[in-house]
Order: sequence, then C-alpha cells, then structure tokens
Amino acid sequence: MTSTRGQTAVRLEARGVTAAYGANPALRRLDAAFFAGEIVAILGENGSGKSTLLKVIARIVAPAGGEVLFDGRPLPEIPRRETARRIAYVAQSADLVFPIRSLDLVLQGRAPHGRGFSADSAEDRERAIEAMRACDVEGLADRDASALSGGERRRVFLARALAQEAEVWLLDEPTSGLDPRHRIDFLDVLVREHRARSTTVLLVTHEVDLALSIADRVLLLRDGRALASGPPDAALTPESLREVFGVEARVDRDGAGERRVVWTGRPAPAERPPAG
Amino acid sequence: MALAAQPFRVSGRALRATALVAAALAAASCGRQDVAAAVGKPTAGPATRIVALAPNLTEIVFALGAGASLVGVSDFSDFPEAARSLPRVGGLEVSAERVASLTPDLVLATAEGGNRKGAVSALEASGVPVLVVPGGSLDEVLTGIDLVGRRLGRTAEGDRLTRSLRERREAVRRSVGSRPRPRAILLVWPDPPSAAGGGTFLNDVLTEAGAENLLSARTGWPVLSAEWLATAPIEVAVLPDSPGNRPVFERAFSTGALSRGTIRAARVVRLDESALTRPGPRVFDALEQLARGLSR
Amino acid sequence: MKTRGPGLWLAAGALLAGCLVLGIWIGGVRLSPGAVWSGAGPEGQTARLVASIRVPRVALAALVGACLALAGAALQALLKNPLADPFLLGTSGGAATGAALASLLGVSPLLSPGAAFAGAVVSSIGVAALARRGGRLDLQRLLLGGLIANAFFSAILLGVFSLASSETARTMLFWMMGSLADASPRKLLALLPYAAIGAIALLASASRLNLFSVGEENAAALGVDTERSKTVVFLASSLLTGAAVAFVGVIGFVGLLVPHAARAVAGNDQRTLLPLSALSGAALLVAADAVSRAVAAPSELPIGAVTAAIGAPVFVYLLLRTP
Repeated sequence: MTSTRGQTAVRLEARGVTAAYGANPALRRLDAAFFAGEIVAILGENGSGKSTLLKVIARIVAPAGGEVLFDGRPLPEIPRRETARRIAYVAQSADLVFPIRSLDLVLQGRAPHGRGFSADSAEDRERAIEAMRACDVEGLADRDASALSGGERRRVFLARALAQEAEVWLLDEPTSGLDPRHRIDFLDVLVREHRARSTTVLLVTHEVDLALSIADRVLLLRDGRALASGPPDAALTPESLREVFGVEARVDRDGAGERRVVWTGRPAPAERPPAG
Repeated sequence: MALAAQPFRVSGRALRATALVAAALAAASCGRQDVAAAVGKPTAGPATRIVALAPNLTEIVFALGAGASLVGVSDFSDFPEAARSLPRVGGLEVSAERVASLTPDLVLATAEGGNRKGAVSALEASGVPVLVVPGGSLDEVLTGIDLVGRRLGRTAEGDRLTRSLRERREAVRRSVGSRPRPRAILLVWPDPPSAAGGGTFLNDVLTEAGAENLLSARTGWPVLSAEWLATAPIEVAVLPDSPGNRPVFERAFSTGALSRGTIRAARVVRLDESALTRPGPRVFDALEQLARGLSR
Repeated sequence: MKTRGPGLWLAAGALLAGCLVLGIWIGGVRLSPGAVWSGAGPEGQTARLVASIRVPRVALAALVGACLALAGAALQALLKNPLADPFLLGTSGGAATGAALASLLGVSPLLSPGAAFAGAVVSSIGVAALARRGGRLDLQRLLLGGLIANAFFSAILLGVFSLASSETARTMLFWMMGSLADASPRKLLALLPYAAIGAIALLASASRLNLFSVGEENAAALGVDTERSKTVVFLASSLLTGAAVAFVGVIGFVGLLVPHAARAVAGNDQRTLLPLSALSGAALLVAADAVSRAVAAPSELPIGAVTAAIGAPVFVYLLLRTP
C-alpha cells in the first residue's frame, strides 16, 4: 500500500475525503498525501476546510466519505489509542474553563500511553518535564494553564505534543495572535524539536510568510479541495495566490534574499476562476 | 417512595375525597373574617334559583328545607342523596360560565378566597347576587345557617335549626364538663402526615368534643415529622374516614410515618369524613360522635 | 497547587462524620447520646425509637447527597461547564415526570426508579441534542435547554396533579419538593444498587473526564471514544439522578454546589474530585436535612427548599464569574 517519494514513505494520505464540520460543509472529495518527516503548511481562506482536514486526521471528525490512510492503513481500522499515541493535535485555541496545572495539561499527552487514560507514573512525569524543558516552559509547570499568556500556552500545548511522543503533529494556526517575539520563540522551538524528532508536521495557517519560511511543502485548499501542492517557492505564485485567496499578490525577495509575499490588491470578481 | 406507594386515583370518583382538603382549607382561611362583610347584597324577595359552590352550603340549604330551590351545586355535593342528581358547576375551580348559565338569583360561596375567588368575583361583577357564608368555627357555622335562612326567606326554619344545634352543642359541653381531656391530634391526611392546628375549624371541633389538641399552638395544617409522631404524648388520633382515604391511612399505620411509637399506640377515633370536615349542620353529628369516642 | 493526599481525605472523612453525628443528634426531638447508648428506662426507649427513625434517614440523605454530587461533578467535567447540574439541566425534572407518570398509570412502585431513570435519560439526551451546535455543546443553549425542559416537565407534572385527587396531589407536591421523611432501611437497600452502578461507572471514567474537562475535541484527539464515554457518563448520571429522585423527590443544586466547593479545595483532577464530591455531597445533604428537621419542628421544611436556598445564590455567583 505504501507509496514513496524518493526514499520517503507516505505517512498520511487522504483519498476523496468528504466531511462537514458544524455549519461548514468543509471537505469535498479531497485528495492529499503527506510524507514522513516533512513540514506541510496548509493554506487557504476561512472555510476552505483546513481545520477540518486536521480534525479528520486527528479523528475528532469522522469523514462522511472517502478515507484517510495512516502508514497505509485506513484510520478506522487502527485503535483510537494507537493513533492518539502517534498523532498529536494542537487546537487553535483551548478555552480552559477549569483551572489546570500546566504540568497536568502536559501529562494529558501521556494519557493514550497510560492504563485507562491515566498518566501518573514516574516515567510519564519525566517525559512531561523533559518536554516542558524542550519548549522552555519548565518554569510554568506549577502555574494554572488557564492563566498563562497566549504564547506561553501555545508552548505548553506543544510540550504536550512532545510528551505524547507522536510522529505526526497537527497544528491549527499555532502562531495566530502571538506578538513577534513569542511567534519567533514558538517557531524556533517547533523547528528545533521537529528536527530532533523527525516528526511530520501539518500546519494550518493564514500566514503565507510562515509557510515560505519553515514549510518543506505547501498545500493550497479552496472550497474543500486541494488546489495545488508543492515546495513553497514553486507553489506560491501570484496566480495560485490569486486563485486561493482571491487577492492580487507579488512574490518578492527581501534584502536578505528571503521570499516575501506582497498583497497588491483585489482583482475584479470575473478574473477569479471558479474552483475546480 | 412516597408517591409510588400510592398510585394516583384519577379524579371522577375521587371528588368526595377532594372535598376534605377543600373544605378544610376553606374553613382555615375564613377563620377570623369579619362576618358583617360576608352578608351579600340584599335583593327583593327570597331566592328561588340557588347555586351552592361548596358541599356544606348544599347541606345547609337542604337542612333549611329549601333543597328544591337549588339549581346547581359543586361537584363534591353528595349529601343528602337528592343533591347527587343536581347539575354540577365545577369543583375546586368553579366555572363562572356554567353558574351564570343556570340563571341563579342567589349564589352561595364559602367565605374564603383560594380557588373560588376568581369565579365568585366574576359572578359578582356580572350582577349575580353572591352570598358569602362564613364557616371558620362552630360559631360561624351557626351564623352562616342563620344568614342563609334569612336570605331564603326561611328565618323560622333557620332559627329552629340553629336552636337545636346550639342545644346539642350545650349537651356535649355538659357531658365533657370537667372530665380529663385526652391529648389528641386530628390527622387530615397521612402522607405527608398533616393535622389540624390552632385557629382551624377542626381545632374547634376537637377541643369542644373534650380533647386537648396537641397542635393548638401551631396555626393552619402543620405537616408532622415521623419523629414527632413517634414521641409526642398522643393519646388519641382522630381520623376522617371515607372509602377513599381508609387504605391510605392503613398503609401509613402499617409501614409509613404512623407506624412507630406513640402514634401507633394511640387510640384511633374514625369519623365520617364528609360530616367532620364540612362546616355544615352535620358537623354537630361529628361533634357528638367524637365526644362519645373520646369518653370511651 | 491544591490540597492533595491523605490530609484531604482525612478532612473530608471528618466533615462527613461530623455531619452524620450532627444529623443523628439534631432534629425535631433532641437526643441525648447517653440515653441512646444505654437504652434504659422510658427515656432510653424513646431515644432508641427516635434513633431508629433517624438513622436510616441520615443514611439515605448521605447516599442521595453522594449520588447527586457525583452526577453533577461528572456532568460538569463532561460538558466542560461549571454550571452543569442534574437539576438545572432538566434531568431531575425528567426523572420526576417519569416517576409521576408511572404512578399515574398505576405502575408497580418497584419500577418507579426505572421510570425515573427513563425520564432522566430522555431529558438529558434531549437537552444535549438541543444544545449541540457546530459539533459542540453551547453553554447558553445548554442552560436554555434545561430551562425549557424544566418548563415542559413542570407542565406535564401540573397536568398529572390536576388529574390526581387533591390529597394525592398534596402527597406528590411534597415529594416534588424533596423529602426524606419516610426513609427506611428497605428504601436504603433499594437505592444502593442503583447508586453503586452509577458511581462505579463514573469513577471508572474519571481519567477520561479529565480529558473532557479540557474539551471534547481534546478527549477525542487523545484517543477517547468520545461518543461511548458521553453515553456512559450521561447514562450513569441519569441513573444516579433518577434513582435519587424516585426515592426522595427533587433536590436541586447539590450537584452544582458540591463539585464547585470541592474543586476550590482540591483542584479539577476528576480522580480526586469525583470521590471528594461524593463524600462532601453526603455531608451537605445530611446537614441540610438536619436543618430541615430542626428549624420548624415538629414540622419539616422540604429539603429541596433548603438546598435551593443555599444553591441559588451560589449559582448566581458562578454565572457572574463564567465568561
């Protein structure tokens, strides 16, 4: 079943996935593949199905049609606990209603490993603290996570994904709402730990620059379908950006030679081709 | 559980039972009312088309020999036998429309408000003469009979009836005299156990019949705890008796709140429910029976 | 961050023991411990008689309090909502309606808890369905759903009242307000299996509920079969609520108050919070029952009125604090 790209195995593959999440009919027969060890930035307008794709892979939402293969096996054939040990999901926002110690939140990442979803062993605690150290949030272990700043909380949740020892990280808009310093801190930790652990990262974002700077590949979604995918340099063109976002853009290089997207204006409606 | 212990009896045949609480509550709240205010608007000549909104009022009209003038009675009016065939105008909630459709020239209502107030004020507003009859104590029962008698043009019958009732009451008083007064409660319902407190019509009956009401210091209809019932110095328990409530009382005595301690050991005096609990002429029958029961 | 370990359990145990002693000591009739102990003479006999009435009652209060608090705590975690409570969500109303309808239809009293359970399940599933929006339970809709369910069930109950004779309606009214007055060892034994099944199911779900208390998606992403867990927790809390309502009527706010207080002391780890809520719920209801017996002796206040008098202001406080 497993197809390859060069030496690299396909870790996840969506085949004709259709899903509705809440009010939004989100995915329409989406086909996509994600390879082991790559960072994929998933770009698209609001309502294009980006978040739903992550939720389908995280088994939060069951697809209405099609299937997702994980290492070649359809997800429903794999025990939930097993996928939970191997796929970590970090939600866009977690409004914590009840107080919870940051360490306990990170320990939740150990839940799929523990008996009956409890994670209290010395090993669990060690992994959790290690993960917090890796994300520079060790000092927050005893703090109430619901009282942390946005940036701190993102890193605590990333620490949880680390503690989970998953091979796949699904991150839903991990940097939205962060100020520049916290954004940089977060991305540093993310890239460092991704490299250290060779994880596959699926990252949903609105930030085209983020995709350009850290992604190995981008996947462009529109109206629940994959429009294009490829290395950022090749895939992010004025044409594709206009098609995905409906806005004119230019791709420039800045002084340091980094590519930057400059939004230049809105095209007439007729210029926007209908989706697939 | 309390509820499951007794499947609900659906209304219809249960109406008589309902009259107990209705009458008891009616009597309770009219206790201290100004009797003068209760006299209805005077009309010309004696009434000939009467609607009685409570069973005790039906009984008073019959006792005055004016049963033939009744054109409508409350659902609970089951005494005397002749009352059973009269048109019904509703139970706790009287239908003002039904009353009006009988074109009465006099409506008799009990002195209290509660669920009858709405219909009564609607009738008054539409010009139907309403006589509000007091009944919160034995004295008020006599006053009420007197009032109704006068409005029906049967003053002589009224005088005769009240005189005879007064004499029977005096006889009870004499017989009770200085004999020791047993400590008693009058249970109106076993689940939850509720009894007649001070200021109620039934407290009057219990006291005049020669008992000491253990609950006379409490007004209204107190709900009693199993602990109190098991330990209070109750010598006599007076119960209203009807085919409907007898099994409920029996269950309470065998396994419920009345099954332990002094209440279980107390002497039980059962009195016909409809005579005891309706502030009409028959309450004097109940008074005599109770006095006899207590003296035994 | 929060009190844990043996000290917590000692304190909770002492609180419950204190309330039990208080519950047996206080009431319409003051008991002298010496007289109960010796049982000698008329005074001793009376004391033992009262104790024989009071002890099963206090035990029933403890069991019911534990059931309601446990159900409330579990629902709060499951729904990620500190305002969840079997009473506010209409579960108690559904249970009361189930029991009342069964009585009206003349169903055997033995099946009454079953009917109450069925009513509780119907209500909680209905309210949850009403509150579901965009794949998650919406707080406002949940509370509105509970409000509507309560209005609907009280309409049915009023209908049942009007069909019942006025004394049975009176009996029913007292049951509706919550009453432990006719507690007996038999009743206690009858409630025990329902309580045990519900409690075991919830306590076994504690770790999953920890994941739910961060969010249902959180639980799903961490490998919990959320549909199955929700079913288990809804059924178990409906069972606890239904059995409690069938035996002692509607007693509100215990499921709201107790977990809130327990959480403030011990934090939100359900493995601690659930058993602690059960212990504290038992203590609260025993104390509330002692109050209901003592203040108006020889009459009793409905215990539901006592818990509501404490619970309603706390609810307002929680509502104001909830973003």
